[in-house]
Amino acid sequence: MTDTQILVESVLQALVAGLFIGAIYGLMCVGLASIFGVMRVINFAQGDFMMLGMYVTYFAFVAFGAQAFGTAVGPFAAAIVAMPVMYGFGWAVHRLLISRVTGTRSAGMEAEGHYAQLILTLGVALVLQNGAMILFGAEMVSVRTPLSSAAWFVGPFGDGMALFVNQARTIAAAISLVVIVSLWLVIRRTNLGKSLRAAADNPEASIYMGIDVDRAHRVAFGLGTAITALAGGLLAANYPFHPFVGLDYVIIMYAGVVLGGIGSVPGAFWGGMTIGLVQQLSALVLPTQLQNATIFVFFLLIVILRPQGFFGRNVERT
Amino acid sequence: MLEIRNFVAGYSDVAVLHEVSLTVEAGQFISIVGPNGAGKSTLFKAISGIVAPMSGEIRFAGEDLLKVPPSRRAHLGIAHVPEGRQVFTSLSVLENLEMGAYTREGRRDWKQNLERIFAWLPVLKQRRGQLAGTLSGGEQQMVAIGRGLASSPKLLMLDEPSMGLAPAIADFVFDKLMEIRRDTGLTLLLVEQRVAEALQFADRGYVLETGRVVLEGSSETLKADDRVRRAYLGM
Repeated sequence: MTDTQILVESVLQALVAGLFIGAIYGLMCVGLASIFGVMRVINFAQGDFMMLGMYVTYFAFVAFGAQAFGTAVGPFAAAIVAMPVMYGFGWAVHRLLISRVTGTRSAGMEAEGHYAQLILTLGVALVLQNGAMILFGAEMVSVRTPLSSAAWFVGPFGDGMALFVNQARTIAAAISLVVIVSLWLVIRRTNLGKSLRAAADNPEASIYMGIDVDRAHRVAFGLGTAITALAGGLLAANYPFHPFVGLDYVIIMYAGVVLGGIGSVPGAFWGGMTIGLVQQLSALVLPTQLQNATIFVFFLLIVILRPQGFFGRNVERT
Repeated sequence: MLEIRNFVAGYSDVAVLHEVSLTVEAGQFISIVGPNGAGKSTLFKAISGIVAPMSGEIRFAGEDLLKVPPSRRAHLGIAHVPEGRQVFTSLSVLENLEMGAYTREGRRDWKQNLERIFAWLPVLKQRRGQLAGTLSGGEQQMVAIGRGLASSPKLLMLDEPSMGLAPAIADFVFDKLMEIRRDTGLTLLLVEQRVAEALQFADRGYVLETGRVVLEGSSETLKADDRVRRAYLGM
């Protein structure tokens, strides 16, 4: 193989890795976007909801996933089981805490309750991180499946070029895409989805239509939590985690949502995808420690050149 | 159908409405007129539950409305076409109408309501796929009215449907409303600053000033009243 071919091969390899990790980042961002977009609540705890999703996946896998589905399919089945569990968790957090500082109750508060929301979700994040530390300990945990280290071999093509496609990541990316497309269909086509959009668009008029806006917010919050938790569960098959892992990801999530354009669900997906691609492609030329720095340099460039994000409207600048 | 007795409401601790009493019988067309800041929109918002009551009573079809949560009131048959239109700007025209039909009755009568709404307001049919936020003010007002009608309401409350519209467009909207009223016999409660038009076809009218009902009666009585003639009709 010539040098050019080696270069082409490694670019293709990074591209594939970027697309797959990008699909999961996209899912993560979509979860945040459905909370941020519908309710305009800045949720600092989103990364920790994801961390919880990872642990729920882990325990579901250990408890029954492995026996019921085998070690190959088990981790993915466990991640899907984490969805309804975390939906319930998000629903309850909204019902008990978030609803006190949002919606109709925030009307008389300073900055429409945004300060209170920031402090509250930051507090929830701290409680979850340290609570997880007490309950689960500080050791790194991972949901290992034989697929994590198995690859499909594509090729050879060209002049002896070949690609390795990680099986666990391929399945995770496929599940992400299915969930995102289903969510998009629910939001665009169903009555529930339309009422969520109406509640986000104009809460007051929604009440005049007979839409229970508080309930719509709870559903959006639960959905957003469940989706981010699923992304966490899917990542858990390839990345070990610990109680403070949420911090690493919450920044990626906000960057993705802002890149895509605040309030746009497809935008959030493409934002997350972009981050995955930039992260993996940058590793070709830069040391891996600089991967995250590259993301933010790119992020700043986009914010300077296109402040409304890829899909955002002009009126809503970052 | 709607009975408001000695109703007091406002924002925080400041009362905007003082001891307001008002009655709407089924099939009637009632107009509320008065200057800016008289509390007309506040009264509508209180009926819809957005403004908290302080004292007094509102009954709708025999039911104590103040005990019904705001988001359930549309389901009783009250449609509120709010001031400034408040269409769902990021939803298409058709989706706006679908949200109007969120009530059980609205969903039951959807096909037939949609046909009638498109017949009254053909521009909505033309624009049904377009985002409501991209329409002109007059078209948005028609979306808001269509959205109200889509719920199969027993009572349609219209808050200044002519606001911010060019006079010719405002006339058109008003004519449409009268056509819809003729066709359906729908009970209407209208708040309007265009007093002459508001009183022309109404059965009864109320004059609201600084949160109090200062005058009420049949529209003939009101039109003949010296104060109304001087203050509102420019005669």
